[in-house]
Amino acid sequence: MAAKMQHFDPPSSASSESDDAEVCLDEKEIFLADELCEDAEHYRRSDIGTPTPQSPRPPSTESVIWSTCVWQAGCTWFTEVESLCHLKKTVRISKSSQRSPRSRRQRTTSLSQSSKKTSAESILRSKTRTIYTAGRPPWYNSAGQQVEPFVIGICGGSASGKTTVATKIIESLDVPWVTLLSMDSFYKVLNEKQHEMAARNEYNFDHPDAFDFELLKTTLQRLKEGRMVEVPIYNFVTHRRESRTKTMYGANVIIFEGILTFYNVDVLKMCDMKVFVDTDADVRLARRLRRDISQRGRDLEGVLKQYSTMVQPAFYYYIAPLMVHADIIVPRGGDNEVAIELIVQHVHTQLQLRGFKLREKLAHSYIGQPLPSSLYLLPDTPQIKGLHTFIRNKETYRDEFIFYSKRLIRLVIEYALSLLPFEDVIVETPQGVLYQGKRAATDKICGVSILRAGETMEQAVRDVCKDIRIGKILIQTNQQTGEPELYYLRLPKDIKDYKVILMDATVATGAAAIMAIRVLLDHDVAEENVLLVSLLMAESGVHSIAYAFPRVKIVTSALDPVINEKFYVLPGIGNFGDRYFGTEPSSIED
Amino acid sequence: MGSTEVTSVPKKSSENNDIADIYGPNLKILPCNNQVKELQTILRDKNTTRSDFKFYADRLIRLVIEESLNQLPFSKCVVTTPTGAKYNGLKYQKGNCGVSIVRSGEAMEQGLRDCCRSIRIGKILVESDADTHEAKVVYAKFPDDISERKVLLMYPIMSTGNTVIKAIAVLKEHNVLEENIILSNLFCTPIAAKSLVTAFPQMKILTSEIHSIAPNHFGQKYFECNVGASIYWNLNILFFNLYINHIVY
Repeated sequence: MAAKMQHFDPPSSASSESDDAEVCLDEKEIFLADELCEDAEHYRRSDIGTPTPQSPRPPSTESVIWSTCVWQAGCTWFTEVESLCHLKKTVRISKSSQRSPRSRRQRTTSLSQSSKKTSAESILRSKTRTIYTAGRPPWYNSAGQQVEPFVIGICGGSASGKTTVATKIIESLDVPWVTLLSMDSFYKVLNEKQHEMAARNEYNFDHPDAFDFELLKTTLQRLKEGRMVEVPIYNFVTHRRESRTKTMYGANVIIFEGILTFYNVDVLKMCDMKVFVDTDADVRLARRLRRDISQRGRDLEGVLKQYSTMVQPAFYYYIAPLMVHADIIVPRGGDNEVAIELIVQHVHTQLQLRGFKLREKLAHSYIGQPLPSSLYLLPDTPQIKGLHTFIRNKETYRDEFIFYSKRLIRLVIEYALSLLPFEDVIVETPQGVLYQGKRAATDKICGVSILRAGETMEQAVRDVCKDIRIGKILIQTNQQTGEPELYYLRLPKDIKDYKVILMDATVATGAAAIMAIRVLLDHDVAEENVLLVSLLMAESGVHSIAYAFPRVKIVTSALDPVINEKFYVLPGIGNFGDRYFGTEPSSIED
Repeated sequence: MGSTEVTSVPKKSSENNDIADIYGPNLKILPCNNQVKELQTILRDKNTTRSDFKFYADRLIRLVIEESLNQLPFSKCVVTTPTGAKYNGLKYQKGNCGVSIVRSGEAMEQGLRDCCRSIRIGKILVESDADTHEAKVVYAKFPDDISERKVLLMYPIMSTGNTVIKAIAVLKEHNVLEENIILSNLFCTPIAAKSLVTAFPQMKILTSEIHSIAPNHFGQKYFECNVGASIYWNLNILFFNLYINHIVY
């Protein structure tokens, strides 16, 4: 179980753990169900108001339990309670007492497409391989600047159906890369005394003081800026934050839900759309009663006491007045199809206004302008030209192609390294004299390759830098839209402290490179610490990248003037990855 | 496309002019940048571990070899790329070979192999007399048609240049044209450079640094062989050579 848990966690978010194994979907899915059941069981054992000292659940959170999912993969597992309980029966057999006592509720999730149906469509699975068919389209404009994600705030009393509404919105939005952030993650760490109160079930989790609004504010702000964030995982048993955090990155739509989402003014301002779920108090109480008594084995007395002493007063003091801030008030919660449809329509309009069509725009600007100063072209020697002749020639066999590209790559990487900062140093020689030389000013260098063609350059980087860490970003072009889409990333954990050598074999429009740089910046890498290295670039691509990110150093061995309508560079190399790995579509050679 | 003015290593051209003034046009220095300087620093540092030494020496050798190959003649050619477009490229001319001067020159063989997979490599063993410091050729083995080939002569450290002068003399005995020789070298003293360009003005020389102190520990640290073993090994080759001669004649 513990091992499984490790597997489970990183992919649930935009994880930056460097050395985790490749995503293994089947395992995760199974585990997911397991995890859900654990949650469900936890709910049953100890829910709101019942004085179960082990884990007094805050009264505000209930109903639907969110599953986590692998957003990079562009797919979702979203399950509602009904299906969850069903699942539970099948999986519970496997898990038993060795389950960790810690209750894990992770309502804060990153999801992309929501319904099971669409997620199934976006993943093709065969016995040995998993193929993703939906990645993340660009989330920035052609200047490389972030287009802000759309933030929907959902507020409402406990058991009002906030999560159901959120779910339904995600389902009908059908937009990849949706992040759901729950206020539950931001409960304050309790001190000794409060902890005891909580144990006696006297701590009021419905009060605004129970939340860490400062942290909430910065987290939401960063998410809105498209940055990578570490969302705390609150442990309801210890009332502390777990040492692990959930990494979230990348969202076109953020849904932020909780009982007091509109309470803090700054947080309120960040919401582009404010939804209040207004469910009748009787209905809410009825839901609580039914859920707690029939599903969780509580007694009527306890539930009512909890409700009347804390949940109800908090609602009238703090939650109900927040209704004035709402743009839309949804009566009857999740059942209100009309309201949800209206919300979805509005979000779609807003997203379209923000516009994400990039590639064409990139390819056709900047013609005839002087080259940017951030471009570092290898000296144009006969030998480099000779190597280019080999790899550009379509008659070249693959073994020669690989051999000569490797030589060229090595030269490019050596050249790129010379652009890193150096400092003067004096060393003692065995001849007894001092020698004035140079040393690299930093040993924090890491490589990041843009899959697939960029991978071909990894070996050269390893050959010149001992024990270098290498991250990967998978970006593929969507054949229908021609836009690059982000599928997968795995970066060294503390990448922000590193000089990053970003590798891609060829750069045509620069769309993929810009996306990769954007990802790095979102992970707090300083722009001037990025070095984009490639064998061949098109002029327009260089212009686009330099325009978007003027401080990124661009290193290449040759510059071609034109891009054709298929976004290949001319005269170019052809599809570098296909030629290197031997996956050309037609059988041109051997 | 290459004519575009791009920020590359500054001060390179002026430095090169000075070099050309002193040593003539045929001595070239590997374009120096911080990266190359760092490699040289590591190789000269006496605190460098042996594994680091070899690692960084191989990197520098690779760069020097690549640059030496750059001195070889090319001919123009046009190729078709997979996109159907034409590319005006350059083609290496056939008929090159490498010659390493035993033993430290052999350190550079792998670098050459990494760049030219099936190139022929000849060897010369030059021994210098312990008393007179006079260099003597004790062994030489070349491809048969070496006189028609361009020769990449490899020797990493030159302090007096005597060894290399002897080796070139042997090459010339085999009818190799002086202008067909390219000498690849890592570290060179001004004296050695001067005497080489004076003795062989037609020969091309490529080095990474001219400095009055040569890192003479190179061979020993790279191969991690003490003196005794080296003599023993050289003797072996000597005997082998005599044996070969015996068979031939």
